[in-house]
This record gives sequence, structure tokens and C-alpha cells, in this order.
Amino acid sequence: MSLNVAGTGTAKPRVARAATRDRAGRVGRRRMRPEQRRSRIVAWIAVVVIGAFGFLPVYWLVATALTSDTQAFKIKPDLFPREITFSHFTKLARNEDLFHYMVNSVLVSVLTAVLSVFVSAYMAYSFSKFRYRGRKSLMNLVLASQMFPQALLLVTLYAVFSSLGLLNTYLALVLSFTTFTLPLCVWMMKGIFDTIPDALIEAAAIDGASRWRTLHTVVLPLAAPGLVASGLFAFVRSWNDFVFALTLTGSDKQTLPPGLVHTYLGEFQTAWPDLMAASFVVSIPVVAAFMILQRYLVGGLAAGAVKG
Amino acid sequence: MSTVDTPGPRPRGVTAAGRLSDRTFAWLLVLPGLAMFAVIIVYPLVASLATGFFEQSLVKPGRRFTGLSNFADALKGDFWPVLWRTVEFTVGATALPFVLGLALALALNSGIKGGGLLRGLFLFPWVIPGVVVSFLWLWIFNANYGVLNGVLMRSGLMDTGISWLGRTDTAMLAVIVTKSWASFPWMMVMLLAGLQTVPKELHEAAAVDGAGAIRRFRNVTWPQIRGIAGIVVLLEFIWNFQHFDTIYVLTGGGPAGATRTFAVAVYDTAFKGFDLGHATALGALWMVLLLGAVAVYLRAEGKGAR
Repeated sequence: MSLNVAGTGTAKPRVARAATRDRAGRVGRRRMRPEQRRSRIVAWIAVVVIGAFGFLPVYWLVATALTSDTQAFKIKPDLFPREITFSHFTKLARNEDLFHYMVNSVLVSVLTAVLSVFVSAYMAYSFSKFRYRGRKSLMNLVLASQMFPQALLLVTLYAVFSSLGLLNTYLALVLSFTTFTLPLCVWMMKGIFDTIPDALIEAAAIDGASRWRTLHTVVLPLAAPGLVASGLFAFVRSWNDFVFALTLTGSDKQTLPPGLVHTYLGEFQTAWPDLMAASFVVSIPVVAAFMILQRYLVGGLAAGAVKG
Repeated sequence: MSTVDTPGPRPRGVTAAGRLSDRTFAWLLVLPGLAMFAVIIVYPLVASLATGFFEQSLVKPGRRFTGLSNFADALKGDFWPVLWRTVEFTVGATALPFVLGLALALALNSGIKGGGLLRGLFLFPWVIPGVVVSFLWLWIFNANYGVLNGVLMRSGLMDTGISWLGRTDTAMLAVIVTKSWASFPWMMVMLLAGLQTVPKELHEAAAVDGAGAIRRFRNVTWPQIRGIAGIVVLLEFIWNFQHFDTIYVLTGGGPAGATRTFAVAVYDTAFKGFDLGHATALGALWMVLLLGAVAVYLRAEGKGAR
């Protein structure tokens, strides 16, 4: 708490000061100076204003998904649905095309996550625990690869996959998704391996374990939560991809994001409540994954960025 | 771990005990990943840069060397308006979420009740899939039934609705707002992480010395979070410079090219015009610009930090 010290005096010895702070905010709030109260008010105004910008659209998504078609299509829409209907959700459940896209999405995202975790775990372990010539350049390559424009990469990937007869296959999607999941996973996992003490690895070596054994029976089990986290992150990124799936596959192998565009955004009047209901459903796995790994996600992002 | 090998007449990479040397082992670990990088990133990239010198179609086999003519065509044609749109989008979609993210991070860091919970909730717009973000804002900006027009008309600010995404003067703004909505939470989290490293004692000392809120921000807080702020701005800049999804779903680059950025232009040239040569030439110019901008930025950052 930053606000409770002024009242207690800064001349006190360090220990006493720390103790005051440990008693937390309540003490501070009672002795709030006018200036502090003002800054609280300003803080709350900022939270409310930015909160309105952040959450009203989410509210509108849910509200529209629960509104009947006749109510939704009004020049001046009601800000609160007059009557709530779940018909858009039940309609979704009967839509076979969407189910098909969903299966594709799950399949491709899981495969991408598994492949990315396997490949990048070895790579990250090498980057984290060994020092050799070329290591820095390789790490920079991995980092810089995130900077190459996706649309440009896509143009040539399309040509490559086309000449190999891979267009409209799951493999094309998985490979193209790894162009963005692999760098991400390598950096996240390097951060995780960095936290595993070298002494542990050396101890295993002294006990006679080979390097492969050390890696597989000592290091990887320790890093398991982190591996799962990077895998989930790769899953989310694959689940969200739009442009690769839009271009490299036809409707047969397409994932949900381009599938939804093709299903709903056509020549005719878009069925907005249906689309909002579908959007809601598509967001669920991602939000769930995120709740599981919030800690890793934010930490991993920060770590990767700071190192970059 | 050490990389020292005992010298001696034995096969390279194998130590006295018959085990792999550290260096060989490290390279073996890297190999699968490196192979994938080479095949799906490095090769396509090099190949695409080469394609810029050829006349080549996406759908017909065969190609003809045309030297620099694709690049010349790009510079004569689309390049300048597209560059301007890209800069407009990149600057807008980086500055707006930065301001929002910083304001929110400062607010949440000021010790208000429920700050931790709010931090989690605020991440929501960033978490939901990008295409859902686009659908949602397409609906909000909808010319006939959109809630934005509805609210503005109800409150008497407007008589008739605006086609936000259909007018050349509002489309870019609408796209920037949409993209900013999806990225300000990420900015907030990163900046908040930076703010939490600022020692409270510094603030307290400055407050005791009579420094006002603005002076404390400038002289105490900002120098401490400058590093992380520089990183988030750089990353967001790079991502926005090549951003595709939101723009493509919201406007497809229209109306009349008002939101046609490099990503959209390269994509359309390749997959609607089937013209690989021109698409990759424009893409190469785009990439060089991005690398140049990043280099300039890093230099300025380096100078500023010193």
C-alpha cells in the first residue's frame, strides 16, 4: 500500500515502517489525505470509462444472442432485450456445417499444439541449458520469424503446398499454424527451462543417467505444467487463426473462424443474433483455456517480451 | 553445463566415455525445430522474395524473369496510398490502446478495491477470438440496425444513422477502434507488470517532497516503466503493421481503398488477382519498410535509454 505511510511518518525505523504497511489498506484509507482521495476518484473514473468501452460490447454480444430476430432488427435497438430466447443456440446445435467446422478446429488445433510442444521443448532445452556457437543466431532467427508478415508468408506457403498437393489438407493447416506457434512455444519454454536449476541436471548426470534420460525423466516431468501451458497457448492461437485457414483450405477442411464468415457473412442480410450466438460458443473454449492458464499466459508473455 | 571436451583422437562430437558431446547433443535437440523453421518459414520467405523478380501466376505454372519491373509497377501503382493507410492504421491502433492501457494500469495500480479481479475481467476483449471481435464490431457499427447509431440517435446527437464502415472518412477510425478494443487489455497487463516493479518508497518520498501527481508520474513512474513501455509499443507496432484479420473482415480494404493496408493489398493481389509476382514485390517492399522502421525505433530507444 502506497498511501498509508505519510500519516505514520517516514522518520520511523525501517522495521516499524514495514509493519505499518503489512497491516494493509484499511489503516491507510482511514487516514487518507484529500489528495489521495482525489487520486482514488480519478482512478475510479478511469476504470468506469474504460470499463464501459471494454465491457459494453461484450454485453451487446450476449444480449443480441438472446434476442429474437424481430426484436434485434430495429432502427433504434432496445438496449435490454424485451424477452429472452435461446432459440439461436438451439438452432446452432442443429447446424451440421458448423459442427463440421468445429471438429476441424478441434482436430487441427490439438495436432498443432502437440507438434509445437514436442518440437519446441527440445529446441528450448538446447537454448536454455547449453552454450555453443550459433546458439545466439538461432535464437534470433526464432524471435525474428515472428516479424515476417503473415500475408507474405502465406502467398508462398500457398504456392509450396500447391506444388506438393497439400492444399485443402489438415497437414497444410497444422504446418502453417506452426509458423506462429513454434516461435511462441520456444520462447515460453525456454523461460520455463531457465528456472530449472543446472545442479539438478548435473546430479542426474553424476548418477549415471544419459543426457536423453536426464531430459526425459528429470527435466520434462518438472517442466510439465509449463509444457501444458505452452500447449494450451498454441491451441488458442491455432483456434483463433483466420487467414491461413481461409486461404489454404476449402469448406471441407475449414476451421471455425473462416467457416463462420462463409456461413453468415454473405450477400444477404446477416442473421446477427445467430452469428452472435455462434460467436459466443466459439469463444468458450478459448476463455476456458485462458482461465486455466492466466498465470502462465501473462508471465510467459512478459518473459518473452522482456527477453526480446 | 560445461562445453569442454577432452581432446584426443576420437570421432568428432563423441567424448571419452563414448557419449555425445554437449555440443552435438545440443544441436541434435535443435534439429527438428530447425528443419521445420527452414521448411515453413525461411524457405517460403526467401522464395517469395525471389518471386518478386518474375512474372508468375498463382494458378498457372511457369514463370518469366522480368527483373525489377514488378517493383517499379508497385511503386507507380498502389504503393504510396497503401503505405499511408498502413501508417495510419499502425499509429492509430498502437497509440489508442497504449493510452487506454496505461490509464487503466495506473488506475488499477493505485490500490483501488478489487484491482486484481478487475485486471482479470479486463482481459476479456483480448482473449476472445479475433474473428469474433470483428463480427461483434461489424454488428455494433452496422448502418441500419447497429447499436452505436441507435444510441447516438436515442440521445439526440444524430437524426439518421451513419454507415461507419461504408464511408471513406469513418472506416479507418472504426477499424482502429475495433483493433484497439482487442489489444488494450494486453497493453494494460504488461504496463501493470512494469508499474508493480516501481518501488513504493520512491513515490512516497516524492509525495513527501511535495511533488504533485503529474510530476510524480513524469519523474518517478515513467522512468521506471519506460523499458516495458518501449517493448509493448514496439511489439504492437510490428503486429499492427502486418495486421490482416480485423481489417479484412470489417471492410475488406474498402470503401474505395480507405482501409487498404499492405496486408490486404498483398493478399488481394495474390489471391484475387492471382498475380504472385506483383504480390511478392509489394510484400518485399513492405517487409523492408517494417525492418527499417524497427531498426530506427530500436536505435531511438537505445539513445533514449542512455
